[in-house]
Parts: sequence; structure tokens; C-alpha cells
Amino acid sequence: MSETLLEVRNLKTWFETPKGTVKAVDGVDLTLNRGEILGLVGESGSGKSITGFSLLGLVDPPGKVVEGSILFKGEDLRAASNKRLQALRGDRIAMIFQDPMMTLNPVLRIGTQMIETVRAHANVSKAEARAMARDALGMVGIPRPEERIDAYPHEFSGGMRQRVAIAIALLHKPDLIIADEPTTALDVTIQSQILSEVQKLTREMGMGLIWISHDLGVVAELAQNVAVMYAGRIVERGTVDQVLDTPMHPYTRGLIDSLPMENDRGQPLKQIPGNAPPPLGRPEGCPFRPRCGFATDACLSEPSETGDLSRGWRCFHPLAQEVTA
Amino acid sequence: MNQPLIKVDTVTKHFVRKTDVAERIAIRAGLAEEPKIVHALDEVSLEIAKGEVVGLVGESGCGKSTLGRVVAGMLPVTAGSVARDGQDIATLKGRAAKANRLATQIIFQDPMSSLNPRKKVGEIIGEAPRLHGIVPRGEVPALVEKLMGQVGLDPAMVNRYPHQFSGGQRQRIGIARALAVNPDFLVCDESIAALDVSIQAQVINLLVQLKKDLGLTLLFISHDLSVVRYISDRVVIMYLGRVVESAPTDQIFDRPRHPYTQALLEEIPRIDRRGHRFNTVKGEIPSPVNPPKGCHFHPRCPFAMDICRQERPPLVTAETGHTVACHLNAGTGQLPATTEQQTQQGVTQ
Ligand SMILES: Nc1ncnc2c1ncn2[C@@H]1O[C@H](COP(=O)(O)OP(=O)(O)OP(=O)(O)O)[C@@H](O)[C@H]1O
Ligand SMILES: Nc1ncnc2c1ncn2[C@@H]1O[C@H](COP(=O)(O)OP(=O)(O)O)[C@@H](O)[C@H]1O
Ligand code: SF4
Ligand code: SF4
Ligand SMILES: [Mg+2]
Ligand SMILES: [Mg+2]
Repeated sequence: MSETLLEVRNLKTWFETPKGTVKAVDGVDLTLNRGEILGLVGESGSGKSITGFSLLGLVDPPGKVVEGSILFKGEDLRAASNKRLQALRGDRIAMIFQDPMMTLNPVLRIGTQMIETVRAHANVSKAEARAMARDALGMVGIPRPEERIDAYPHEFSGGMRQRVAIAIALLHKPDLIIADEPTTALDVTIQSQILSEVQKLTREMGMGLIWISHDLGVVAELAQNVAVMYAGRIVERGTVDQVLDTPMHPYTRGLIDSLPMENDRGQPLKQIPGNAPPPLGRPEGCPFRPRCGFATDACLSEPSETGDLSRGWRCFHPLAQEVTA
Repeated sequence: MNQPLIKVDTVTKHFVRKTDVAERIAIRAGLAEEPKIVHALDEVSLEIAKGEVVGLVGESGCGKSTLGRVVAGMLPVTAGSVARDGQDIATLKGRAAKANRLATQIIFQDPMSSLNPRKKVGEIIGEAPRLHGIVPRGEVPALVEKLMGQVGLDPAMVNRYPHQFSGGQRQRIGIARALAVNPDFLVCDESIAALDVSIQAQVINLLVQLKKDLGLTLLFISHDLSVVRYISDRVVIMYLGRVVESAPTDQIFDRPRHPYTQALLEEIPRIDRRGHRFNTVKGEIPSPVNPPKGCHFHPRCPFAMDICRQERPPLVTAETGHTVACHLNAGTGQLPATTEQQTQQGVTQ
């Protein structure tokens, strides 16, 4: 049996703004096992990043986790003190951001920053810390880590900086990594190199990984499981095969269908009409209703989740059909 | 033989290198040197026929936007020439120069940063036609209404400001603004990259429809190969300031000849591939400040030979309409391993 690493129940993270309450995350449930890669997909503003920040206790005011529970290896993180969270962050839980410069200090040598990070959580000598840092750089595929460890961030390309940020996240062999679109800004061949390292590392180190992305292709190739977010909720979840081959939710289906495929040339792409609802103007009932071709009066009330935490969806009229390419 | 609409002839473009935040701070702290010359375009040649959709693909910094801006006449070249309808655009003067500028329009990636936030949509779209006298003043509002309808915006929204629109709608505003001066050629520079997947399809459909209705020619710059495959008649692949391959869309996807094109196609994430083992091209993309000698791809190429480290491979025609710059097989590149056997007969002359 695989070991549960993270259990999130009914997570709500809201922002009190002068214009009203932005329900960025509005009742998210997640379960992640050791060694599992979960892809979290959805359009911009759907709440993916705020979900990630909430797990780490990194939501800035006026945002606040207002409800729900976050159990990490059985420990209730919502009840944890700031000190405890700080101790966990960078040690047992790490985050990788889209922009590696969120992690890196431009005026410090890579090695200096890494040694500091090591020594913040482990009682080791400078020399030992340096060795750990060097090994971590090697692990993410930085060539000649012994030399490169003394470089400054600007001497590295965007892809190399992202590798360094990943190396820093890996320093303490965390149990959980939350990666927020870390390869979105990178080129295909470089993204591919990083995905391969990440895949290998999760397999070898047995850590859990939440990979936030808007790219279904990346998630299909990288993850075992996928959760689709829309307007602050998970609207569909399951294994990659289940969700991408047999989507139940019309939004998931619409996303898959709108990707241009080989045989689509010369005919219009299937498109989802309309736009995602603004955070303060979400419609009553199912938030996808104004864009949904399957909506009925039933959808004026809110669909609850059908199924369970391994395979579920929020829709009154699930599709239950194979996608035919 | 038909004259191409656009002919780019051995164009070279150099810049003094831009610095990013990390570098600027490092330079100020005395940790890095001042920037050097960037070889953004290195003897690039390219023809675009009237009515053609050409997809331009390549990794960040390889010169796609530079080529787009050079083609649009927005950037002077360092060497070489760009001709439109057979006329070198650098030699155009006065009225002809202006007509040429209007006839090519660029649609950028970030719709917000290219729209004036203090102007109403109607003013943004109507500005150029009014300024350039495209239609009599009194008819500008009617033109704006027509254009908004054409790009799928409700003309009732004419008095709203850009921030009151979604990303996809803003991109439609950008397209309407470009169309307002009756261009026959659009350069779309990552025009859909900033949009959500569910909105991308809407904008792609719009561009295809407009192309058909207005008989436009498109240079479609994108790093998204599945979109390029969908929209383009022909695809041009760039690597580090050079064109390395160009062919009709089906041909380049079915039988890519350049090792870089092959790697790129292999590594595009696809939703029909699960648990893929990534990583076929090793190494970093070299810097355009000091590109490697010979073939720019040689430090990462699994097939690199001695000649590749010394001599630049010329762009040669390997098959009708299919050009490639690679020293393999007497300069014709190579077909991917899986299809090589089956198709070899057909391609060796
Ligand atoms: N105005 C400029 N000044 C200095 N350097 C420039 C300038 N414009 C572009 N460059 C440099 O020229 C090279 C090519 O840039 P270009 O913008 O054409 O790349 P691109 O292929 O469009 O990349 P991307 O995919 O990131 O948009 C890059 O190294 C870039 O940093
Ligand atoms: N500081 C903030 N104040 C108000 N609303 C915010 C703030 N940060 C994020 N939000 C809102 O929360 C929602 C979810 O944001 P986010 O998690 O960043 O989306 P995603 O990562 O899926 O693109 C959005 O509607 C966003 O506008
Ligand atoms: S609940 Fe109704 S509106 Fe919502 S996705 Fe399902 S069918 Fe569409
Ligand atoms: S010229 Fe040589 S190095 Fe360049 S792509 Fe061809 S084989 Fe590789
Ligand atoms: Mg985000
Ligand atoms: Mg560009």
C-alpha cells in the first residue's frame, strides 16, 4: 500500500477585497501519496497557485485560509505555528516557482545560497554543506557542478537557473514538492530535460510532487494523476488515462477537444465559447454553466462531487464517453 | 514563376545585447561585464508567397521576433535586404514607404501592454484609420463597428477600456486595430501564447477565418508546434539566428531532415503520450553573443562530424520545396530513423 503524504479537505482560501470576497480556492480536496506526481491544471485565475501557496502557509493578506484542513504526514498544518511552518518549508516541503529568480538572489554565488539553505535546516559544517550543494547540482544535470557552484545566477541561462532552483528545493530531500509552472517559460528541449530529471528524482527519492501547469501535454506525459480546477474548485480528478481519455466534465472535454490535433487541419477548431467568469462575478450554480453546451435547469444549483478522491467530478450531466481523436 | 510577396535576402541583424534583471544587478555590483554584440539574425533568407501562412518556430532568443520586425520594416537590417513585391523596402520613400508600413501589421503576444489603457476601445481601433485618412472622418465609427463585428466583439462595448476585457477579448481588439488599416500581411508574434487553452482555439479560428475572408498572408511565429501545424502551409525552423529547415507543413512533420527539427518534434509534450521518457537533446542552447563555429547546433547534435565544427552548412534544397542546412548526406540532412527505410527510395535522385 502506498503511504499517504498529504490530505487536504475542503480547503478555502479567500481574499477580502474592497469590492467583495474573492473565493480563490473554494473547497478543494486533495490526496497525494509518496512517489506520486499529481498534475494540477486549469486556466489562469482558477486557483492553482493559491492552492499551492495555501499548503505552504504562504498566502499573503488580504488572503487567508478560512476553512478546511491540511494534513501533512498526519500533522495538521493549519494548526502549526509560523515557526513550525518555516522549519518544514525548504526542509520537508519545498516549492518551485515559474520564475527561478523568486528563489535565487542575484548578487550571491549559487554555492553561497545553497550552503545557507542547507545550514538553515541541518547541523552540518560548511564543507559538508558545500558537498551536498554540489551533489544536488549534479543531480539536476548541471555540468561540472564543482566549478559552476561558484557562479552567479546571471551567468546561467534561464533553464540552468531553473535547475538550480530545483536543486535548492531538493537539498533536504523533501517529502513533498509543489512546482508552480516551473517549465512554462522554458524552451521545449530544455523543458524536456528538466521533466526527465524530475521524473527520475521522484521515482528514486519517493517524494510526492504536485505539478501545477496549464499544459495538458506536459501533465499527460509526466503525471500519474490529474486534477482539473475551474473557478476555485476541482471539477474533475482521476488518473491521467481516466481524465484525458474519458473526461466526465464538459470543461475537461472542451479543453481536450480545443487542442489542435493532426487531423484538424482545414476545419475550425472546437472551441469553448465565452470566458472564465471573473472572480467576483461567478454565476450561481455550476460556474461553468454559461459556457456549457450540456447545461439544464438542474445546473442552476451547485453540483457536488460525484465519485471519490481517486476518480470524481462535479457535474449534473457527466459525459461518460470516450474522446475519439 | 510568381513573385513572392516578401523576399528576405541574406539578412543579418546585430544588436548590443539586452540585459535581464539578474544581469543588470550584477553589472551594477561589478560582478559582470557590460554587454556585447548579439547576432540575432545571421544571413537569413526566406520567401513568403501571397496568401501563404508560414509558421516560424524556434527556441527563445533564436531571432523569430527580430525576423518578424525586420520583415515588417520596423527594424533596419545590418546587412542584406527585405523586398516586398520585388521592391527593396529600405529604398521606399514618402507615400510608398507609408503604404508599405501600413500593409504589414504585427500582432503581439501581450495584448494588454500593446493597448493604451486610457483609451476607449473605439478610439484604439479608430485611431489609425482616422490618422491615415483610410476612410473619411465621419465614417470612422461605422468602420470601427464593422471591425469589432469582424473580430467577434460586441460593438456595444465600443466605449469600454481595455482593462474591462478578458485576455482573449483584448487580443481581438489588437487584431481589429491591425486590420483597421487594410493590411494584406500580418505578422503574428506569439499572438496566442498568453491566452488560456480554452481561449486559444477561439483566436486561432478567428485568424483563419479572417485570412480566408480578407485574403491575408500570415507569418505565424509560435513555439507551439501543434498550433503551427494546424495553421501553417509551410513551416520554417530557426536555430540561433539561422534558418535550419523549411518545408510544407506535412512534409516537415512527417519527414523532418534536420537533427534539431527532429529533436524538437520528438519532445513536444502531447496529450496522447503517457509516462513519456523525456530528454533526447542534451546541453544548453548556446548564446547568440558568441555562437559556436560551423553548424550552430553541433555542440548538441548527436551526429556532429568534424566538418560541422568548422563549416556552416548551407541551406540547400533536398526535395522540392524542402530546404535544410545540415552537412549529413551531402548537405540534405537525414530522415528520422523510423521512416528512413520506407522512404529512402523516393528521395534519392
Ligand atoms: N533591441 C534589442 N537589443 C538588444 N538585443 C536584442 C534586441 N532585440 C532582440 N535582441 C536579442 O536578439 C536575439 C534574438 O531575439 P528575438 O527577440 O528575435 O528572439 P525570439 O526568437 O523572438 O525569442 P522569444 O521566443 O523569446 O520571443 C536575442 O538574443 C535577444 O536577446
Ligand atoms: N492578492 C490577491 N488579492 C485578490 N485576489 C487575488 C490575490 N491573489 C490572487 N487572487 C485571485 O485568486 C484567484 C486564483 O488565483 P491563482 O491561484 O493565482 O490562479 P492560477 O494560479 O490558477 O492562475 C484569481 O481570481 C486571482 O485574481
Ligand atoms: S453541471 Fe451542468 S453546467 Fe455544469 S458542467 Fe455539468 S452540465 Fe455543464
Ligand atoms: S550540420 Fe552537423 S552538427 Fe549540424 S545538424 Fe547536421 S550533423 Fe548535426
Ligand atoms: Mg498561477
Ligand atoms: Mg519573440
